[in-house]
Amino acid sequence: MNLRALQAGDADAWDAAFRWLWPVVLAVAQLKLQPFFPNEAEDVAIESLEELVPKVRAVKTVEELRPLAASIAHHRAVSLLRERFARKRGAGKTESLEAVQAESGADCPDPGADSPLAELEQRELAQRISQSLAELKPPLGEVLSDFFLHGLRYEEIARKHGLAVGSVGVYLKRGLEAIRRIWGRNGE
Amino acid sequence: MYMSDQRFFDLAIKAVAHQATDGERAELDALLSREPGLRAEFARLQADVRLAKDVLPLVNATQPAAADLPAYARGRLQSKVRETLGRPETSAPSATDEQRRMMWRWRWLLGLAAAAAAIALVVVLWQAPVPVIQVAMLDTAGASRGSDAKELAALQQTWNKAVVDSFSSTESARAWETNWAGGSRKAVVKILYDRPAGELRVLGRWKGKTFAKTFVVEQDFASALNQAKQYIQEQTSR
Repeated sequence: MNLRALQAGDADAWDAAFRWLWPVVLAVAQLKLQPFFPNEAEDVAIESLEELVPKVRAVKTVEELRPLAASIAHHRAVSLLRERFARKRGAGKTESLEAVQAESGADCPDPGADSPLAELEQRELAQRISQSLAELKPPLGEVLSDFFLHGLRYEEIARKHGLAVGSVGVYLKRGLEAIRRIWGRNGE
Repeated sequence: MYMSDQRFFDLAIKAVAHQATDGERAELDALLSREPGLRAEFARLQADVRLAKDVLPLVNATQPAAADLPAYARGRLQSKVRETLGRPETSAPSATDEQRRMMWRWRWLLGLAAAAAAIALVVVLWQAPVPVIQVAMLDTAGASRGSDAKELAALQQTWNKAVVDSFSSTESARAWETNWAGGSRKAVVKILYDRPAGELRVLGRWKGKTFAKTFVVEQDFASALNQAKQYIQEQTSR
């Protein structure tokens, strides 16, 4: 992908970029919106790509685009959630909000409130995503996801990735330290 | 030192993730009783796990994956590119001078060669199935201006078998663009003249595939219509 062509507004270059970035913005939007407003995810994804277009002028490498697009989509999705929940509260519809939460199994009406992600500016969030992608190289990222997100046990992770059971904990420890270094508040 | 002991880490992380066996849980409790200083590390580990659960989905979502950009989104996004970054000469091959000249040359040739035109007509009539053509115009400024009527007439003339819908709101036009009643297998071509954006958008579904192209309407609306028509013929003759 040619950054100069994108910056010059070349339609073909943007076609390729949109196809490349679409899965990212859609996945990030769905991540936040799926439990509450699944029908909004595609709109947020498109709006995120629209917002990305003028920002391409300040980008130095094509590789920056993916984390930047993800960051924009994240902020847009969180903003939409906050706006919708605030509107519901304002309209005295707290009960229906709780009903939505109960139905979806989601545990927080303001999904960004307690997260360090919520405090980060768009560009900083993009930088941290980019750094995470660089540091959580295979199989480190997968091992972390398998344990913390998918609930796999040490033995299952070892089998899946062809690792010794004893080294799974080493990967987890190394991965957690990397996440803490990249995402921890004030470099804790 | 933070998480210096791998055994403590393994026990603690399994306990945090509710994966510790009774034996491992007992071993961890004993360790925490024996060395109270580890309690702070345990608490910090719990915070790290919360952080990991928070950021990992976002990082994972940023990894390459497969998902097709909807055809209707393409036109909208390309409009944004043109509005924001301009309209480079090289970006719209269909609108170059060379191609316009080529098109006129072809028209002359077709005009002079009646036999060739007749053959072309036979070929067109032979093609089956024919896609359903849907045409619409968006004008957010309302339909009071005279040029609106001319453009509507030109649309109607170009696709004379189609009913030309007229929209005054972007939302309605977008709903029309994204409504593919009849499922993805039905052969349908939608042509939307987005007057505020100055573009003619073509979206189509033909033989299970989708296609889309935006034609910039500079000064010559008729030329954009011809380009769009030619593009549709190319796409639906494959």
